[in-house]
Amino acid sequence: MAEKIIGIDLGTSNSAASVIQGGKPTLIPAAEGTTVAGKAFPSVVAFSKDGDLLVGEPARRQAVTNPDNTIREAKRKMGEDFLYKIQGKEYKPQQISAFILQKIKRDAEAFTGETISKAVITVPAYFNDNQRQATKDAGTIAGLEVVRIINEPTAASLAFGLDKAKEDMKILVFDFGGGTLDVTIMEMGGGVFEVMSTSGDTKLGGADMDQALIDFVVDEFRKKEGIDLSSDSTAITRIKEGAEKAKIELSTVMETDVNLPFIAQDSSGAKNLEVKITRAKLDDLVNPIVQRCKSSIDKSLEDAKLSTSDITKIVLIGGPTRMPIVKKFVSDSLGKEAESGVDPMEAVAFGAAVQAGIIAGDVTSDIVLLDVTPLTLGIETLGGVREPIIERNTTIPTSKDKTFTTAADSQTAVTINVVQGERPMVADNVSLGSFNLTEIPPAPRGVPQINVKFDIDANGILNVTAKDMGTGKDAKITIQSTTKMSDDEIKKMQEDAEGHAEEDKKKKETVDVKNEAESFIYTTEKLVNQDLKDKIPQEKGIQITDAIKELKDSLSQDTEQIKQKLEALKAIVNEVTTELYKNASPPPGEQQSGEQQSGEQQSGEQQSYANEQQSGSNEEKSDSNSEQKSENNSN
Amino acid sequence: MSENKKQINEEDAESIDNSEILDDETIKLKEENFDLKDKWQRALADYQNLERRTQVEISQRVSNKTNNLLLNFINIYDDFIRAENSLSKEKIDTSGLIAVIKNMESLLAENNIKPIYAIGEIFDPQIHEAVSMVEDDSLDDGTITKEVSKGYISGKAILKPSKVIVSKKKN
Repeated sequence: MAEKIIGIDLGTSNSAASVIQGGKPTLIPAAEGTTVAGKAFPSVVAFSKDGDLLVGEPARRQAVTNPDNTIREAKRKMGEDFLYKIQGKEYKPQQISAFILQKIKRDAEAFTGETISKAVITVPAYFNDNQRQATKDAGTIAGLEVVRIINEPTAASLAFGLDKAKEDMKILVFDFGGGTLDVTIMEMGGGVFEVMSTSGDTKLGGADMDQALIDFVVDEFRKKEGIDLSSDSTAITRIKEGAEKAKIELSTVMETDVNLPFIAQDSSGAKNLEVKITRAKLDDLVNPIVQRCKSSIDKSLEDAKLSTSDITKIVLIGGPTRMPIVKKFVSDSLGKEAESGVDPMEAVAFGAAVQAGIIAGDVTSDIVLLDVTPLTLGIETLGGVREPIIERNTTIPTSKDKTFTTAADSQTAVTINVVQGERPMVADNVSLGSFNLTEIPPAPRGVPQINVKFDIDANGILNVTAKDMGTGKDAKITIQSTTKMSDDEIKKMQEDAEGHAEEDKKKKETVDVKNEAESFIYTTEKLVNQDLKDKIPQEKGIQITDAIKELKDSLSQDTEQIKQKLEALKAIVNEVTTELYKNASPPPGEQQSGEQQSGEQQSGEQQSYANEQQSGSNEEKSDSNSEQKSENNSN
Repeated sequence: MSENKKQINEEDAESIDNSEILDDETIKLKEENFDLKDKWQRALADYQNLERRTQVEISQRVSNKTNNLLLNFINIYDDFIRAENSLSKEKIDTSGLIAVIKNMESLLAENNIKPIYAIGEIFDPQIHEAVSMVEDDSLDDGTITKEVSKGYISGKAILKPSKVIVSKKKN
């Protein structure tokens, strides 16, 4: 396998990296953990007073204390003849960017467990050759060979899979970040992207929106309480956090509260901040900022000599585009909905990883395509119920097995009927073939263990083996084509299953209840006639026998009737067994202290006993094949 | 004689041809075998890596969920502390409230969540976030004078950095 290449979104405010894993792009988490920017981290570099290098979150956190030695937005200076002078040393913008790339390299190596030496880095579409070369140099300084520089809007389009489209398209990419807006129009034909126009605003972003919301909350509090919080750093910090939370919530709900108790105190006592914010209110507050984006869209269309109707696809990038008002603004401006399905915060890094994956050969057709089983494969069990062995959409080759048992006393043969389909009852599925496993030594029902193994090879050939675990004797069948059907037929079967789900559930429930009843009758009869024969009082014995008879009679009636009679029988049996345990003497050394307490313990035990019985009967429910069939076989 | 020789030579040539074909086929098969073995080992390795990664991802997701929940809980816990501070200033009995706070603190401790100490400490960007500076000649540069929002650590990870005000000397 080729060496891994990572994709890097080297942003003005935040940076992120991604790598292809298992054929899909995955974001590389920053070593310091998830931050305000999600898995991305702030593009901030600083030198502490002791000369230590800080990158990302720690650099941002100390910025106020050390503004002279903290560098933000070095991307804006890339390719310029500019020098940062820090602690008597000079740094080019590409050297500062290299510190960010070095951190990404370290994080990527920690995440993948491999040495990373190659990367694809994204740049804004309007970057000139100098700026692109400077970005490449930054990579080299950081120990990364930059195998390709791609445009951010192209990367985002790749993340949305737009390069796979067959027809030519005109894509508008609306990149609204924390502090900048970039609008790019591209033409895509045959997987090649060509920039038609770019425009934007370097002083417009999500931060302005946050500030508008904070100002509103502070203002509301001043109106209500007459206290100005704007100079109270503790209060402002709390309001900032509360407003951020409210903004995120309002993307999904219509109304929320910023609720900050004990925010201030005056002579009359503590003051609580409680501000209700509706989505409409938030929209009102941020609308002036959103409207400022209009001129950039218009300009990009004008420069590309296009009208809104010429735009085929819209791609949104950046956190603020998660807000419903921003989405609506863009779709209203262009008369079209934006693409969805990829997090706008991660799209650029993902796209860079996709490009990296294509170069590394991780995303080409060279990967072995493994088939999946289109329909569930299983066998027939007691009462015509299908027991799934290999669920549909399982990647092949694969093999799975389950152990079953007999349904009748002294049953010496079982028929394995292999079925394919999604319906719970065998009759509604397709039988692929059947075979018998014979010469099972006579034993009470539930004792023999028959292991049924399904094995599908890469060509879809299914081998089913049934093995008596007691004797080691086995029998098998090979089914050449498990599908036997066209794609249309498969689709029809899947749709059928969905359509009949409710009705099938009822049918299966009827059989399940019947099976449970029959099994409980069997266990109870055995209990009354053999195991506890001498311990059950005569009158109780008669009660049980009557209840069994009633349950047997109800078997031909509807499910509710069976359930009722089954519950009645269970109640009597429980009563009898509880009585038996009560009379049993406690094990030596155990003292019954409080009567009530020991009573509780007993009822607890009794419950688990009843449960055990139930689980026993469940097991029998999945018995391999009905006794009828095996008897037919021996005839 | 020469006829025989020729025949023998032809036979030799044929057997050489055959063995060449066989050699070619062996090489081809060996290459194919090597390729298949390589692919199989890679598939196996991919699977084992996937298993490992899935385990890590699951535990990360669980701890992210737990941490998010605890962060929300911490906000409420902080509110309780504010309530206690405010009420005790007004000389109201807060013993019940203190008991509730203690229970909350033991819940945090059970989950390995510890507060970050800030006031009087020297600012450390790994655990503190500076919101502003104050001038104070009586303190060492970088001493934390006020905590505007309490920070917490979960194990070794920073759940939330303390937001603080830091001192600097006038000159």
